[in-house]
Amino acid sequence: MATESFRAYLPDLDLMTNAGAPAVYHCHHFNLFLDQTVDDALGPQEGAKLRFLAAREASHAFLRALCVRKGALTPVEKLSAAMEAFAAMGHGRLEITADANGGPADGEFLHYGYSWAQKYGQKVRRRHPADAFAAGYTAAAVEIAYGLERESVDATETQCVAMRAERCHFELKRGASPPQLPPVREAEIKAAAKPTMNGLYEAEIGKITNGLRSFTGGVAGDQRGLVQAFGVFITMHLSGYYNRITYDTMAQVEKTSPGSIGVLEELFRESGHVCVFNTFGGMLLSPEWAGLVGAPTGDITQTIIGCVAIARALGFGHWVIHEVTPGSKLVLRTPCTYESGYYLTRHGVATRPNEYFFQGASLAFCQLAYRVDWKAKPELTPEFYEALFRGKIPCKMEQTQGTTMGQPYSEVVVTQLG
Amino acid sequence: MERLQIQAVAADVPALRAVFVTAMPDCLLFDAWVKTEETWVAEDAASYFGDLVRANREGLKALKSWSSEMQVTIESADVLLVLRELRSDFVVTLAFQRDAPLGMVRMYTKRMIERLDELLPRLEAKERPRAVRVREFLEKYAPDPHAALARIALRTGISLDSLKKAEGLTAGQVDVFETSVKDLLGLESLPV
Repeated sequence: MATESFRAYLPDLDLMTNAGAPAVYHCHHFNLFLDQTVDDALGPQEGAKLRFLAAREASHAFLRALCVRKGALTPVEKLSAAMEAFAAMGHGRLEITADANGGPADGEFLHYGYSWAQKYGQKVRRRHPADAFAAGYTAAAVEIAYGLERESVDATETQCVAMRAERCHFELKRGASPPQLPPVREAEIKAAAKPTMNGLYEAEIGKITNGLRSFTGGVAGDQRGLVQAFGVFITMHLSGYYNRITYDTMAQVEKTSPGSIGVLEELFRESGHVCVFNTFGGMLLSPEWAGLVGAPTGDITQTIIGCVAIARALGFGHWVIHEVTPGSKLVLRTPCTYESGYYLTRHGVATRPNEYFFQGASLAFCQLAYRVDWKAKPELTPEFYEALFRGKIPCKMEQTQGTTMGQPYSEVVVTQLG
Repeated sequence: MERLQIQAVAADVPALRAVFVTAMPDCLLFDAWVKTEETWVAEDAASYFGDLVRANREGLKALKSWSSEMQVTIESADVLLVLRELRSDFVVTLAFQRDAPLGMVRMYTKRMIERLDELLPRLEAKERPRAVRVREFLEKYAPDPHAALARIALRTGISLDSLKKAEGLTAGQVDVFETSVKDLLGLESLPV
């Protein structure tokens, strides 16, 4: 597929780019939970607005580079490249018929709305559209296709499958372009990264990482434009989207409701936790993993090694095992996460640890290592996931160092409680 | 009622797999007997049975068709359930093997309900604070229940600790809490 050939990893940093735009793989559990947390914090209108703005900004940079690399010149070629890339990255099918003056676009199997309906639709009724990312992407595609000023097209989702519509529908119109934020591209990410490092079991981790990259390099959206694998819907996503909605939400809550910061951080961490449990767990249990590494044995160190390799393959950064003492302690370090480069570029030095995905994922590594009976080949169901939270979680996580705080590496320590 | 007594009621009833007694109106498990070879966890199921009978009662009342004798029979793929309200104090749920003849099930249900009616105490309805019932409803029906209260804390600005001790919320906070729970669940009202 078109986008696959534009995927690259930054040497020694294990951060991913797509056509030069910072990118990462994430599952629907993460995507839905993160979006939901933003809406919980800001309210559905302001939350959707921020998600749209973040999507449009990140998508504009990506699509501009993509069209250059593909040699797309005319509006038709550019829109076609955008829609093809959207499906290839697992976001669903878009049909953009809007032009420079605005107009409609339609979506089918859009990742957010469709996976929300699959995961939650039988349980709760949704009252607001789910596809702000697709709206922002569509607006950016029209800007690029017709040579319009950056971030000058608005898009509103007027029908959404998450609200039980048959398909998703968007209306686009020209709007005012907001002040441009400083770009966060490959160059800025590289500049923000600290000197790389090695940890324990590097040879083993590197081998698995390379195997996984070969495998994921061939993965692209199916007929629906979705990537359904390992029991989850996976997207190749623009990390600028995740980072802007996370850190802008945090900044807003710090201003308006500082008493809620703790709970907001907890929910940001939870999006990483639920992601690792489902996606990493699904990968470890997959036939592909058995072919590449062997079926998981339940050995704690081997589970952690596998998780670190998956993190690198998915573009989360050069995470290393600094210490692993089964049953007692796990220390992970990294010179960069996909969160840190963005934060330092946009916000400067932080006053407290704030790489929330790194934090939540590290805790989940230990949940997978300590609390899953791998030999029994369990099904990673929502019920199993909920059961992890009954009683006290037997691990304590603390981020003790952070590159966003100006320190030479980020470090998370997970201690098993007696 | 001692557990031995419910076991005695269930003894020798053919094809019976479990008995769940749910205390109303709070839908809390009061007592249960589950056949040893079953893996069911009574606490996981009992409260839903209470909700189900309550919803059924309200639906029948809306149709002007409710009577205190009503019972709900559910024939699922591998279990046959009979749910019966016992006074306003309890909901009794009897789980039979799926292939048990309905006539036999009805006969044994009637007998067991009569015996349970004698054995189960009269509960003095002691209404718990509305905020507590709202919290319990949320934790039962929200997606990702482990995170539900944190989400409400973020939405409302009420601290997580206060929500965990919901009985201490002020009247104004209870209103905000309930509105937020309705929004989160996509409901117009909460049946609590």
